[in-house]
Amino acid sequence: MTPRQFEARYEACWIELERGLDALDKGRRAGKARKLKAGEFPTGATPVAGGAHVAQLYRQCCEHLALARERAYPVHLVARLETLAARAHQRIYRRHDFGLAALRDLVLYRAPAAVRALRWHLLVVALVFVLPIVVVGVATWVDPHFVLTMVDARQVRMFDGMYGQEAGEHLGRTSGDDWQMFGFYIMHNVGISFQCFAAGLMLGIGSLVMVGYNGLIFGAIAGFLVTRGDGERFFSFVCTHGAFELTAIVLSGAAGLKLGHAVLAPGRLTRTQALMQAARETSPVVACFFVFLIIAAAIEAFWSSAGWIAPGVKYGMAACCWTLVFAYLGLQGRGHEPARAR
Amino acid sequence: MTLDTTILAETPEGIGIQLRPAGAVPRALAYAMDWFIRFITFSVAAAVLGGVKGMGVGIMLIIYFGLEWVYPMVFELLPGAATPGKRVLGLQVMMDTGLPVTPSAAVARNLLRVADFMPLAYAFGLIAMLLRSDFKRLGDIVAGTLVVHAEQVRLAGKLPEAEPLAPRVPLTRAQQVAILRLAGRARRLTTERVDELAALAEDVLPPPDYAPGGASPAPIRPGPRLLAVAQWLMGQH
Repeated sequence: MTPRQFEARYEACWIELERGLDALDKGRRAGKARKLKAGEFPTGATPVAGGAHVAQLYRQCCEHLALARERAYPVHLVARLETLAARAHQRIYRRHDFGLAALRDLVLYRAPAAVRALRWHLLVVALVFVLPIVVVGVATWVDPHFVLTMVDARQVRMFDGMYGQEAGEHLGRTSGDDWQMFGFYIMHNVGISFQCFAAGLMLGIGSLVMVGYNGLIFGAIAGFLVTRGDGERFFSFVCTHGAFELTAIVLSGAAGLKLGHAVLAPGRLTRTQALMQAARETSPVVACFFVFLIIAAAIEAFWSSAGWIAPGVKYGMAACCWTLVFAYLGLQGRGHEPARAR
Repeated sequence: MTLDTTILAETPEGIGIQLRPAGAVPRALAYAMDWFIRFITFSVAAAVLGGVKGMGVGIMLIIYFGLEWVYPMVFELLPGAATPGKRVLGLQVMMDTGLPVTPSAAVARNLLRVADFMPLAYAFGLIAMLLRSDFKRLGDIVAGTLVVHAEQVRLAGKLPEAEPLAPRVPLTRAQQVAILRLAGRARRLTTERVDELAALAEDVLPPPDYAPGGASPAPIRPGPRLLAVAQWLMGQH
């Protein structure tokens, strides 16, 4: 079959597919599809092909493209089919929902399951976070001057102003009102966690360093404030949103470590494949710690900083939050684990 | 081996779709344009909200956060799959299978921007792009995405009209392909260049004085003879 005959025989099919795609792009409802008679050309009056029919035309088009390539037909003919096939391919394999069902799935099952799948990475990161807190905290408690090896004097004075005797009725800040701080916390904390996650790509070392560093600073400040007798003010500030924020930091570190782990020990995959798989597995965790950080920012800005709430109430609230976080991550969706092979 | 930087994504139907990955320069330009758009947006927001103390600053910071992290993800998930800067340069983000980008891939490639940025000024991202033939930065490698030129370059068009003429000898497949390719590009070339290239095929072209109705009065140049052979290869209606 010569190129001309080929074109004459199948062009009707291509034009029909083109029109069907145009209609789908415009979002127009397709009319009732009917099969064209042999030799009939689609015109403006011919009903536009609907979804199922477009899929069928697409498969025919793919067949024509394969033939045209195999028979080395002229470039313009092959190019026309290629463009058409690429366009239909994009259209047919696109997402068909707005992701609401997927979102529900993510919140109820996939996020906590993905977190539980990271349990060993979580354990490592939690240790890297908690050990410096304990060691530096105790060291600072024994010798308050130790804090200056971690943080410079200006920052120490700032923290003193935030949680010390003269902190006033807003804890944890030197100026600014609730809304301002809410914006600041979101930007600052989420930025840090994202960096913590991405730094994992550097063989996981980046994540560990960032988590460990945050632990050191936290431990130094906490130890210092306790020796100054400001412990209650500090802990009543930190405890509630800490349930979300500290968990989120550990989650971001663990997700980052997972990426680094995939690069270091890809197992039976290539490094790139292992990395891609790790990214897919950790993406629910990323969504999870992102939401946690938003919640933490809201609590930190509007609840934790309120000096008029009695510390006892805050501790009670904090206990509820910690229980909630651990119950969600540890128990939610158990028994609904998605099948391993997917 | 080809010099083209196109890659072939195979579809479930068993055909290959050609993708044309975008290199470092158009992507850097797109980034600069996006940076400019974000800068203007933030400046306007700052000018409007600057008067409001407290809450205004809070909203400004949230806007800053959104422009930094959410802006690329949202635009890449909208139809067109590209940030405004990429749209201006005709780029598009898609999966390296040729499919539309998925939400989790869009999130991953934009979060890992941080890794690409290290140690400074997107150095790692640039190195990754220069080392790979598909110009992926680290975020693209992990997410399995590709930044491509949305429009394909078409060098060949329809063949120019000519009276069909049979070649002097039967043509091999490779010869047929070469003649059809050259004929497809004839409109983009000067007639002298077409003649020059067609002269290379003189051995198979019909003789200069040959015309369908018999001997032609004046010798015909190689270019028109090649186009005539191309029409002959195209066959009859």
